[in-house]
Amino acid sequence: MSGAFDWKGAAVPFRAGETVASALLRSGVRDFGPFCGIGQCQGCLVRVDGRVTEACLALCRAGALVQPLEARDAG
Amino acid sequence: MPDDRVIVVGAGPAGMAAAVALAEGGQRVLLVDQARTPGGAVHRAPLPGVAPLGLPEHRRRWAALTARATAQASRIETAFETRFAGVDATGAVLLTGARNRLLQPRGVIVALGARERVLPRPGWTLPGVLTAGAIQTGLKTSGEAPQGRVVLAGSGPLLLAVGAELAALGRPPVAIIEAARPFGAGALGLPLAYLAEAARYRLRLLGVPVLTGSRLVEIVPGLEAMVDTPKGPRRFAADLIGLHDGIAPNVSGLGGPCPIPLLRAGDGREALGARAAMLDGTRAGQAMLALLAGRPVPPEPAALIRQRAAQARLARIYARDEGAALDALPPDTILCRCESRSRADLAALGESPTGRDLRLTGRFGMGACQGRVCGEWVAHFAKTRDLGRPRLPLRPLSIADLLAVPAADTGD
Repeated sequence: MSGAFDWKGAAVPFRAGETVASALLRSGVRDFGPFCGIGQCQGCLVRVDGRVTEACLALCRAGALVQPLEARDAG
Repeated sequence: MPDDRVIVVGAGPAGMAAAVALAEGGQRVLLVDQARTPGGAVHRAPLPGVAPLGLPEHRRRWAALTARATAQASRIETAFETRFAGVDATGAVLLTGARNRLLQPRGVIVALGARERVLPRPGWTLPGVLTAGAIQTGLKTSGEAPQGRVVLAGSGPLLLAVGAELAALGRPPVAIIEAARPFGAGALGLPLAYLAEAARYRLRLLGVPVLTGSRLVEIVPGLEAMVDTPKGPRRFAADLIGLHDGIAPNVSGLGGPCPIPLLRAGDGREALGARAAMLDGTRAGQAMLALLAGRPVPPEPAALIRQRAAQARLARIYARDEGAALDALPPDTILCRCESRSRADLAALGESPTGRDLRLTGRFGMGACQGRVCGEWVAHFAKTRDLGRPRLPLRPLSIADLLAVPAADTGD
């Protein structure tokens, strides 16, 4: 299984079993705070369908809405 | 509700070995990991259809261990995509993720592995700057090297390992910047397995500049790595920079009163590398069996003591003056990445700030990582060990996660 999720209106493709951080980085997106890659630094926190999670740990789901934290926290 | 299992947190070499030792001793185990598959950092499983990257010798050892786990499948239950929020003073363990539960196990073995130490540097918070280990995790899972130019900098054997893996995937790094001078005669005292591994990495890295005795002193937006070498300054344009200054036990935050036996295993107890982690996992599993049976805990195995000696030699080979590198940092260098607090912000707290000053006024250690990333550097500048340790929950939890725990688990 593979598919795509939404990041700022763009469809980000992913491979089966891939994390959100991995898919974003492979698509050239680097400004979501990734650093340690193991859930320790908490830099890559994003919202996946509204739930806050580490992008480096969350597995991709087809059709998910993935947002940077600021987008919601500012509003 | 009391549970007759021992929970093992982390399904890397230490956790897996602990689970096997417990199960082979007749104890039921719940083996928990945040990833979707076992392996931890060192044996990180590739995505379906991707060939594994690790060295054959490591892969054989891991395959042998997982075969023993499979033979004990009736005693080892696994829970992947599951995060460990900690053990409280009643001995209750909160797990969240794929299935949220509150358990009362007989004991807990925590095998959280190592964290990467990364010295602060101007520009280390820029997009495109990751830890070398994070780049490696990406390589191991996707089987692809990132697009563009990669610079690896800091210190430690991992820089060579990641560089060699990038080269094997067809995109060698632009340069490796190593603060120590590890390739002298001192290396000859290392175990042969270490030397063979290093030789294999160096062979893969033919043609890649490996600048020793050199430091990445600043990263400028764009990205560019500004490097001080013994022969003068150099600059490397990069698309991705991987930083790494050695490994240390992952800060678990555990250590308060606990009514059940709680043991650490592997790199999360003492960062001695993958070979030692497996030995230490077996040790921890056997120690837990002894504690639960009221028997004396067996001593550390000799093989583990030999690995410790080898790691001590490796540390001497990679000796470098980190204190001088820290003391040379400009005042506006960010130390705390979570709250964007600088060296100058720390200095403003006065000569000898207390833990309370550091946290409540300075905000150091108060971010979402609870000081796991900056704690060591803040302690250096504040000349204190009093930053405090992470507290429960060990990572940010949502209210939704707490509410998802079944009422039957929470009892009264």
